[in-house]
Amino acid sequence: MTPFQLEIQLVAIIVAAASALPGTFLVLRGMAMMSDAISHAILPGLVVAFFVTGSLSSPWLMAGGALVGVGTVALVEAIRRTRLVREDAAIGLVFPALFSLGVILIARYAGDVHLDTDAVLLGELALVPFDRWIFHGYDMGPKALYAMGGVLAVSLLFVTLLQKELKLATFDPGLAAALGLRPTLLHYLLMGLVSVTAVAAFDAVGSILVVALMVGPPAAAHLVTDRLDRMILLSVGIGALSAVGGYWLAWALDASIAGSMAAVVGITFLSALLWAPGRGLLAIRRRRRRQRWTFAHKMLTIHLAQHERQPDQPFERHVEHLQDHLHWEKEFADQVVRRAVRAGLITRQGPQLLLTQAGRSLANEAIVAD
Amino acid sequence: MEPAIEVRDLTVAYRERPVLWDIDLTVPSGVLMAIVGPNGAGKTTLIRAMLNLVAPAAGHVRIFGRPYASVKSSVGYVPQRGSVDWDFPANVLDVVLMGLYGKLGWIRRPGKAERALARRALQEVGMDHLVHRQISQLSGGQQQRVFLARALVQDARLYFMDEPLQGVDATTERAIIALLRALRSRQKTVVVVHHDLQTVPAYFDEVLLLNVRRIAGGPVSEVFTRENLRLTYGGRLTFLELPS
Ligand SMILES: Nc1ncnc2c1ncn2[C@@H]1O[C@H](COP(=O)(O)OP(=O)(O)OP(=O)(O)O)[C@@H](O)[C@H]1O
Ligand SMILES: [Mg+2]
Repeated sequence: MTPFQLEIQLVAIIVAAASALPGTFLVLRGMAMMSDAISHAILPGLVVAFFVTGSLSSPWLMAGGALVGVGTVALVEAIRRTRLVREDAAIGLVFPALFSLGVILIARYAGDVHLDTDAVLLGELALVPFDRWIFHGYDMGPKALYAMGGVLAVSLLFVTLLQKELKLATFDPGLAAALGLRPTLLHYLLMGLVSVTAVAAFDAVGSILVVALMVGPPAAAHLVTDRLDRMILLSVGIGALSAVGGYWLAWALDASIAGSMAAVVGITFLSALLWAPGRGLLAIRRRRRRQRWTFAHKMLTIHLAQHERQPDQPFERHVEHLQDHLHWEKEFADQVVRRAVRAGLITRQGPQLLLTQAGRSLANEAIVAD
Repeated sequence: MEPAIEVRDLTVAYRERPVLWDIDLTVPSGVLMAIVGPNGAGKTTLIRAMLNLVAPAAGHVRIFGRPYASVKSSVGYVPQRGSVDWDFPANVLDVVLMGLYGKLGWIRRPGKAERALARRALQEVGMDHLVHRQISQLSGGQQQRVFLARALVQDARLYFMDEPLQGVDATTERAIIALLRALRSRQKTVVVVHHDLQTVPAYFDEVLLLNVRRIAGGPVSEVFTRENLRLTYGGRLTFLELPS
């Protein structure tokens, strides 16, 4: 690995971690779309700040972007409050307008500078090592490392110090307000952080990857864990791994780094969706299957229990009769019987089925519980 | 004794449309009070206004003779169960601990002492066996008990509960009512939004009949009359059987 490769990956990991932290709360608030809105809407703020300062790396750029980001949130909120449209529609109205304003500004007045729409969408991660911070003649490394590192530090402080406040403000803003924990203030702080992260990450990875990194890893982590602190850690981990994985995928395919990273995030989410224990699609399917067998066992034992002391018993407990009585296909009935015998619920005497003690109590429980 | 709540001339509007109009209300200390009224009557809004969660267009609220902000640590709140996302990554203990966030103040995290308090509250509502259960895997009645435990740890003097009996079975209802009575015997005041008119006389001391305006309020024996209910619910009150 060359030092440049190392630096690119390091920046990518930091971007991923810094995005996952506020992203976790966006996802939990059902505001994933807001990251999309903010990361696009900051464009005119960036462009205007660029015109004023004449530089792409000034802190004013960050301030301008953050301001427009928070303004976007306020605008969406104001439109939603009219109750004429819902939040998703309000987002859909605001950010394309702001984004296109940014694109027009670039096309009209900044045609000759590095701010072009390709870079806006996908960033230039590969160029990160070429914009270096030279301090008194010493090479301190890529500037992006420091910008993103600073943002990550702020995010870390924010979600560790204010984790319980963010938790309550997200889960139950009413109670948070009643207890004096200022959920509205926290909301705007969070949106400010999302904006700053989006602006800082913008130059390196572009707006699409920021969205992918803010939403994908937390959404995957949410499927895998049931605790907030673990979800945060896991989001950061998934984001970082996707960043590195994406880098090498791009290297192998000779493709865009940001695009490959977004693809890996998507694959990671899909894997979680499929295989997450308990909540994944496969786990759900397995549970459904198991429930089907459990239900069939209950039906069988209840049926046998009901006819245990009746004169028609030999007929009712005959294996062939299950098809009529319980409307089971022969094959399914045979399978149920085999499984029930294995589970110790019934025994077979030729074609006759007899309940065991365990089977009898299952039947009793099943009837009482329903 | 000083009343727990005094509301004077309270008007609340959402965008020009008043949903509470000129409400006066005095809740004595140490009573169980029901707020009843049809859907959209403004019951939740009244509670939110008393908790200072919505700004009134006119009038004011005093809790124990003072503005809400200076007594908020003495007030507990149980919101409508459906108002939160139960898929949130938290277990039962996490949610109950939230009741202590106000006392903890900013930044400090709950520790051993807080967890002990939370467990005790869970014991009181009969949920101590589910401390580590993920909240999405609770039944409706269990979720309601968790919310009650969260209010109990607040150790407040006044509780607001928004439909705590909604959608719970008979056993849970009995348990919750027993809990409310235990609170009353400890001189707490409990204000409950309630939908089942049949049980109002059995469960509550005071009642407020609300439909945007205050229709009537006071001791159940005096104001919970057929006539007042007709005024509150209009023609919708057909299947009701009430003591005359
Ligand atoms: N945030 C809001 N913005 C605008 N209108 C609102 C808002 N919240 C409530 N309303 C309106 O205010 C009125 C009173 O609502 P509220 O929730 O207080 O009624 P409620 O008595 O609690 O009803 P329910 O029995 O259905 O819970 C309703 O007409 C409702 O549509
Ligand atoms: Mg309500």
